[in-house]
Amino acid sequence: MKVIVDAMGGDNAPRSNVQGALNAVKKYGVDVVLVGDGQILLECLKGLGVENLPKGLEIVHAGEVITMEDDPATAFRRKKDSSLTVGLELLNGGAGDAFVSAGSTGALLSAATLLTKRVKGIRRAALAPVVPTGNGGAVLIDCGANAECTPEYLLQFAYMGSFYAQKVLGRQAPKVGLLNIGVEPSKGTGLQKETYLLLEEADRSGGLNFVGNVEAREAVEGTVDVIVADGYAGNIFLKTVEGAGKLLGRQMKGMFKKNLLTKLAAVLVKDGIREFKALMDADAVGGTALIGISKPVIKAHGSSNEVAIQNAIRQGFTLAQSGLIDDITAHVGYMSMEREKMCGESVEKS
Amino acid sequence: MFEEIAKIIAEQFGVEVDTITPDTTFEEDLGADSIDIVELSMALEDEYAIGEMSEDDLAGISTVGDLVQYIQGHVEE
Repeated sequence: MKVIVDAMGGDNAPRSNVQGALNAVKKYGVDVVLVGDGQILLECLKGLGVENLPKGLEIVHAGEVITMEDDPATAFRRKKDSSLTVGLELLNGGAGDAFVSAGSTGALLSAATLLTKRVKGIRRAALAPVVPTGNGGAVLIDCGANAECTPEYLLQFAYMGSFYAQKVLGRQAPKVGLLNIGVEPSKGTGLQKETYLLLEEADRSGGLNFVGNVEAREAVEGTVDVIVADGYAGNIFLKTVEGAGKLLGRQMKGMFKKNLLTKLAAVLVKDGIREFKALMDADAVGGTALIGISKPVIKAHGSSNEVAIQNAIRQGFTLAQSGLIDDITAHVGYMSMEREKMCGESVEKS
Repeated sequence: MFEEIAKIIAEQFGVEVDTITPDTTFEEDLGADSIDIVELSMALEDEYAIGEMSEDDLAGISTVGDLVQYIQGHVEE
């Protein structure tokens, strides 16, 4: 397995990206291609105490960097020698099995969509993180790539999220829920109501295990394996979970630090505290898969440190090995068929 | 040329070709976002060999009619 890493993308690039790549090569035995300014990357390696490129690590030069000031939709075309564009071209050419970037989300989404291309028939790629929930994590799809969605997009997200939960999380017949403000089919805006009908039909046909609408609190408790949302609602859900996790962690710390007895109590439950921290640790997750693209692409968060980059590389090769993209490709026609069927029914009803 | 371009647009946006007129707007009528516009421009650049459309060019196109006019102007050049 070989993972291509955008060495210049992210707040802590290139240092964290280079160190993360070194760690991944050593820990997972994976090959990594660092894409970025060759001179800067060699100097960075020297700064990390590495004089010669270790086995499994290579550098491909790219002289430009896409910044937050660049227009995300067109940056990859304007900066053809950027680490992002060159990295994706390498992926397209078969020089690696997956691509990881901690750079601009918008630029990565556009470039992956238009250079690497979506799976034929998929209308939109979606960001699908695994969020911490009571059942050991759920796939949230979408968490921000598509602020505005149609029922068709959400139907496809549901299928893609279900395949992801099966292939990557190992869930059998994953329970799919539509994020909403109530469980009744009549709840929500037109988008949720129409999507509910499509998902219900997909469930009847055996394509999905749709369990209905799910409220945010139930989703966090772990009642579903896949949380389907438009990017707007999904992003609010994700940030709320992250914020609530930080608040709980801080409150717990304050509680245990109160006096000698509480400090003693903390020692007694230290394994539990460690597990809680791991549950909420974004660096341990690494990044978010961009699902719907024809090759594995991982978006690492912008402030990734070396641990996050290392784990994003792990996610990259895990996704490549999972067969998820083959599954999505094989079922695209089925997703479209469901849509056409429902459109027909809607017309008949009206 | 309008029919040819309308066909490409219909295919990309998943709509019936008969619903596309010169007054059809990309954003409101077709629900296009910036990625859709760049995707369409890339398809048309290949089809008509007109070279890359700049951000300013794209910003000046809001209807199908605007796009057809732009392509005609650049093909003739």
